Amino acid sequence: MIAILPTLAEPQSFSLSEKLLFAALAMASVYSFWNLFGRILNKILQSKKDSSFRLFPITKRIWDFFWEVLCQAKVVRERPLPGLAHAFVFWAFCAFALVTLNHCAVAFGIGFLNPAGEFARLYFYVAAAFAFACAAGILGLFVRRFLVRPKWLGEQLSYQSGVIALLIFVLMATYLAAFFVTDAGPDARILWWVHTLTLLTFLPLIPHTKHLHLVLSPATVFLSRGGFAQIPPLAGDEDFGLVAGADLTQLVSLQAYSCVECGRCTEHCPAANTGKLLNPKEIILGVRAYLNNLGPASDQPLLGKYNSQEAVFQCTTCGACEFQCPVGIEHVPILVGLRRGAVNTGAWEDEHGGKLFLALERGSNALGLSPAERDKFIEKQALPIFDGTQEYCLWLGCMGGYDPKGREIVTAFARVMKFLGTSYGVLRKEKCTGDPVRRLGNDLLFQQLAEANLETLAQNKVKKIVTICPHCVRTIQEDWKEYGAPPQVEHHSEFMARYVDKLPKQPSEEKVVFHDPCYLGRYRNVYDEPRKVAALAGDLVEAPRNKERSFCCGAGGGLAFLGEEDGERVSHKRAAELVATGAQTIAAACPFCNTMFRDALAATGESAPQLLDIAQLTARGLPE
Amino acid sequence: MSGVLVVVEQHAGRIARISWEACAAAQHLGAQLSLPVSAVIVGAQVEAQISEVAARGLPRVARIEHPLLAQYTADGFTLALEQFVKAEQPDYIVFPHTYQVRDYAPALAARLGQVLISDVVAIGDGPVFTRQLLQGRLNGSYRHVGTGPCIISVQAGAFRAGETEKCAAEVTVVSPTIDPTQIRTKPGEPFRGSSQTVDLGSAQLIVSVGRGIKDAANIPIVQELATALGAELAASRPICDNGWLPMERQIGSSGQTVSPKLYLAVGISGAIQHLVGMKGSQCVVAINKDPDAPIFEVADYGIVGDLFEVVPALSAALKAAKG
Amino acid sequence: MKIIVAIKQVPERDAQVRINAAGKWIEEVDLQYALNESDAYALEEALQLKEKHGGEVTVVSAGPERVGQTIREALAKGADRAIYVASNDLGSRDALGVARLLAAAIQPENPDLILTGLQSEDLGLGQTGVILAEVLGLPHASLILHVEKTETGLTVKRELEEGWFQTIELPTPAVLTIQSGGNKLRYATLMGIKRAKIKEVRQVTASDLGVDVPPVVLMEGVTMPHKQKSTQMLGGSPKEAAAALVEKLKFEVRVL
Repeated sequence: MIAILPTLAEPQSFSLSEKLLFAALAMASVYSFWNLFGRILNKILQSKKDSSFRLFPITKRIWDFFWEVLCQAKVVRERPLPGLAHAFVFWAFCAFALVTLNHCAVAFGIGFLNPAGEFARLYFYVAAAFAFACAAGILGLFVRRFLVRPKWLGEQLSYQSGVIALLIFVLMATYLAAFFVTDAGPDARILWWVHTLTLLTFLPLIPHTKHLHLVLSPATVFLSRGGFAQIPPLAGDEDFGLVAGADLTQLVSLQAYSCVECGRCTEHCPAANTGKLLNPKEIILGVRAYLNNLGPASDQPLLGKYNSQEAVFQCTTCGACEFQCPVGIEHVPILVGLRRGAVNTGAWEDEHGGKLFLALERGSNALGLSPAERDKFIEKQALPIFDGTQEYCLWLGCMGGYDPKGREIVTAFARVMKFLGTSYGVLRKEKCTGDPVRRLGNDLLFQQLAEANLETLAQNKVKKIVTICPHCVRTIQEDWKEYGAPPQVEHHSEFMARYVDKLPKQPSEEKVVFHDPCYLGRYRNVYDEPRKVAALAGDLVEAPRNKERSFCCGAGGGLAFLGEEDGERVSHKRAAELVATGAQTIAAACPFCNTMFRDALAATGESAPQLLDIAQLTARGLPE
Repeated sequence: MSGVLVVVEQHAGRIARISWEACAAAQHLGAQLSLPVSAVIVGAQVEAQISEVAARGLPRVARIEHPLLAQYTADGFTLALEQFVKAEQPDYIVFPHTYQVRDYAPALAARLGQVLISDVVAIGDGPVFTRQLLQGRLNGSYRHVGTGPCIISVQAGAFRAGETEKCAAEVTVVSPTIDPTQIRTKPGEPFRGSSQTVDLGSAQLIVSVGRGIKDAANIPIVQELATALGAELAASRPICDNGWLPMERQIGSSGQTVSPKLYLAVGISGAIQHLVGMKGSQCVVAINKDPDAPIFEVADYGIVGDLFEVVPALSAALKAAKG
Repeated sequence: MKIIVAIKQVPERDAQVRINAAGKWIEEVDLQYALNESDAYALEEALQLKEKHGGEVTVVSAGPERVGQTIREALAKGADRAIYVASNDLGSRDALGVARLLAAAIQPENPDLILTGLQSEDLGLGQTGVILAEVLGLPHASLILHVEKTETGLTVKRELEEGWFQTIELPTPAVLTIQSGGNKLRYATLMGIKRAKIKEVRQVTASDLGVDVPPVVLMEGVTMPHKQKSTQMLGGSPKEAAAALVEKLKFEVRVL
């Protein structure tokens, strides 16, 4: 069968002048490529070293490289059709490795793949299949970008992308066409030269455009920080975060240059989706523009010409951007780093932010309330005090301790624990875990809070913590590591899921929609446990944007404390989506989500679904 | 002279209630120690006020008058009273604890080698003076141990200015020696804060309305209450969001933070976003039909009832009380 | 402008109040301390004046060793240097004694302006600034919200009762006591704390200053106040409840 199919034509015997011309052009092309790429590489290498980066354990890195880069998993999964098209382009490039080498060798008569030979023929056919898929893919992508024009690719048409698309198409077309001409004929030579010129034009364009990701992104994916939304510790007395170019680290610079401008981050950003200034893609490109124009040693503020302070402080740290990025850019540490640079140096002047910081400087909780209020709550609900003998320490947090709704959640969960016979106690004193100030970039305050709390936990001999707030879970488990050894901590959904067989199933036909909190879902990978618990109370339905794609409630990143938003409220947008599922109950698992939706639903009026935490849903089914 | 001297404060001819309360405190002290009580009033021209003072049962009143005392200055008043005290040698001097007194009485005391026992809330046997410490969470007992006059100022509302028998007053007029160069500060005319924008931050009395009001058309009911009380009108966020009241009247985490003497929450449930804006209020009164509303947790006084009945009743009662 | 700010370290606002064994003060074990609130506003005013007119801001504080933390906080917020008056027996001095101590530490500095907070959150006497002015022989003004430098000295905005204000002009050097709320306070920053490590803190002791005058007023002891804060619910018909409330407003809250 293979024998009767056409073979790839290879022009024979190039003249000396052709060889010289090819060599000269090739050298010019490579030189041009390296000229710019080398400079970019330099900028990345000249950036500050990431002091907390650890190459090992390496297994996950290797897996991520295989799965995300070679298999293009995220690229396809999060945007299936365009992703698949891109995957074929990528795989075609991989498949063409030998083809291209051979193609160049042919000019000097040292082509090592004989088109008539068995292996080469098979290989060339495989490559042809990819070439076909690639050509089709690139055509589709071209149509998408220039005719369909999806919002997230940006307002302006990218002519760069058009040119590159054309070049790739020509490469594939010339390759495929070579099957239909003979070795000896002039067509083969023409095709060869067109392919070659296209190739040599393409190469130097790579570092000039977002196609730099071809070279960089495999490295970017491999060299990730090793955690989701991982905020690196500050390095030494002079490190205040990302203040100026000189503070950009190698990882940040590498990531800035890897951006493919696909806009997936912006597409899922709650701020960008509600008309705010913040656009995650533009933040990364802003850093890139800074590096291009001012370089990695500049002392000009990063929040100046290329990125605005206002935009950076609209981020809820929901992580949707970082989660979506197919080339391994970690947006959250960059945004928090930029905030750190502003807050740690006092450059951020915000009325509400200042009030939050002053409240925590002088007091114990983010709301500025007297701890006596928390004591009153504990007393009123007769919550047991932790004395070292109980299994769990129930961490109330600021919302659980002071917010009327948060308290209801705690009270409900306490009932559940009582029903299950779990021994637990609450601490006499708690300070805010520091989540809002950590995400806002106030390292001074965060250190004070983390250290004070770690001391309290050690003194009280706390071994296990369970809490109703995913922000507390994350901050205690991950962020406090910078200042000590936090005990084991889990979210109440994880706790209750373990005992779901013991908890009563409520006979109900109520439709329940569960909203995945950012800090429980994307941050902690916990999606099934709260659903198991919510399913006890009714029939689960899903919101259109659920699980890893859950749309933020708007409270994270310290924003719950920063006063009112401009434009459409993130919470209202999400609440509307949840209401539209037709569910009678919205199940929450975070006291901040709860607070945000409560306001939003109040605006909906009398017909709004009820809003309950999964603990409250569960407690509802318990005997009195 | 010996005895108890009370310093009565006047502003543009008006004597505020706190001065009468100081008189009552002085009379209490005088009775406790069997000492005679007299009063002094400082100003440029204070003849008209004498009869009022006399009406409070204080037979001896001194007028300290000097043109340079027309406007209050710390230097002027300190000099004037220093001379008077040195001449009269009272055992006790009682001041009302006003902003003005806080500005000069400590200096006067220091000049006399004494220390003012300020903001006294009770006088016990001894005499022992009680002051509030740690923002009202602790009481301290103070005693004067040196020689020379014991100087105190009394807190507003600590002593009740009672009705006493009127008596004929023996009036002395004293003219202190004050040189213009001794007055080092130049005070301007008092003025009100800007009246265009609402400054809830400095309002002493606030009536705040929440979702319980149900409709924009009902807001006037609460406005009437605010007017009757002489309070500023404020609101929780949903009211401002709906445009029923301007955004600048919003109290809460995304609005203003206030700490008035009195905060009257009408139809407000007490969500945390609202509480953080008014938790600094000295006294909170809540009117809500839900007995479990969280606002009652932070209220000093609460009325569980239908605001559409309670509020008009309250407006009427206030108007009657204020006469 | 050479500005001195007298600051006081006081127990944290929400500190637990338990009377100590001697009955003379509260238990200090486990107590957290903070910068007195109106002093923070005084410091803020000083820093803003320095930013506008140049000069130097020095903080002065007296007390036991723990006061060092509050001094560092003030340096972190932007004060240039500090004078620490080491004294373990401040409680046995009266307001005049404390003011004399501070005056002795301040006088050699010859400042243009001395700022203090209006009153402290623990004793709440509200007199130190005024007495300081008297002891140093300087003009003063109290309850100040805003300070402006002029050709001849200062123009200040003073708070009066019931929503009235007043402008006062006075020459420098002078003493001002600053009311809370006039400015937005700046928060402590990491950069500030790091820089504070190298700023000068000069220590003097009370005996160095040679100020020892027997007190004329003594605080004999402390007691807990009787009334507990709990919600008084006023019942009955709307009319009855309204009448009861008006009574309370008149006699207990005293706002009518």
